Amino acid sequence: MVATAFSSLVAMETEEAQIARGLRRRDPDLLDALIEQYQHRLLRYLLHLTGNRATAEDLFQETWLRVLEKGHLYDGRNRFVTWLMSIGHNVAIDHLRKRSPSSLDEMKDPEDGAPFEPEAGGPSPLDMAVARQQRETFDEAISRVPPLFREVLVLRFQEQMKLEEIAKLIRIPVATVKTRIYRGVMALRPALKGGAQ
Amino acid sequence: MSNHEHERAIDIITRQGVDNVAARDTAWLESHLAQCSECAEYAALVGSTGQLLRAVAVTASAALVATTQARVRARAAHLREHQARVVLIAVSFCIGVLSSTASAWLWWKVGGWVAERIGLPTSYVAPGILLFWALPAIVIAVLMLAFPHHGLEQSLMLAVAREREGEKS
Repeated sequence: MVATAFSSLVAMETEEAQIARGLRRRDPDLLDALIEQYQHRLLRYLLHLTGNRATAEDLFQETWLRVLEKGHLYDGRNRFVTWLMSIGHNVAIDHLRKRSPSSLDEMKDPEDGAPFEPEAGGPSPLDMAVARQQRETFDEAISRVPPLFREVLVLRFQEQMKLEEIAKLIRIPVATVKTRIYRGVMALRPALKGGAQ
Repeated sequence: MSNHEHERAIDIITRQGVDNVAARDTAWLESHLAQCSECAEYAALVGSTGQLLRAVAVTASAALVATTQARVRARAAHLREHQARVVLIAVSFCIGVLSSTASAWLWWKVGGWVAERIGLPTSYVAPGILLFWALPAIVIAVLMLAFPHHGLEQSLMLAVAREREGEKS
């Protein structure tokens, strides 16, 4: 068991090191593969951060361009996904600074009724109805959570990141991450309670 | 029950599922949750939050991925080209500095020798060589001022076009 854990650790290190080497060379094939591999996770993170699909898609492209330009800064010691998300986080922050809204929620397009719309892939009418209901519940619930807390909830529960990784990504202490998770969960409480009833 | 116990419980609940939580801590949490309704509620809320966030699938469209890949490839090609150009300019600059240093020394010697042969005063040698040295740059600058860049480009384009017409006929 120890040997398996060690070999998987070595494999992970090798993979991260390979990515670091490829990024230093600006290898286009590697970048294509990385975009394919992390497309959904990055978009989901940006979507929850911004609350707007069009903005998230713009930032998605901007993030990958920045990965290309800043790739030499990735040393392969941390997980690539953590580094990628931190680039996405910085791109989103830069976007906010340019627009200088008072909160991330202001980025939400008031005419966009369905900011968290998932892609349709030929589902049945029943699937669509269930998905729509889930989406409405989700939108309503998540809109109650302030963006600062929403971000850590997404990283903790969707991306399954460790608290230390989240802290490193957002550059805040672990204690603050825990507080934000707690307050985010509490902000969701009315919706969760309502859904349970 | 002390605040410390609640804090410990919340810490373990927050870490469960993503961090390594010791079996000892898990056992302690279970016994704590059996006695503390507040922490038990928080644990249930954490579970529901995870379910809620994982319930809605967000996927990137194929078009978005393809566009991103194309933009990244184009930018990578542009950066490689830029990098190659920077290297070329740096090498050219170094060669230029080396050759001009060597030739300056040579021209200084030649100028001194010529001045000596002609019998010019030594005070004329340095300005004379400097003028001779700067003459090509001065001529080019005067020419560029007299004939603006777009004019030169246009006349060059016209010359090329005329040449092509001549080839066709």
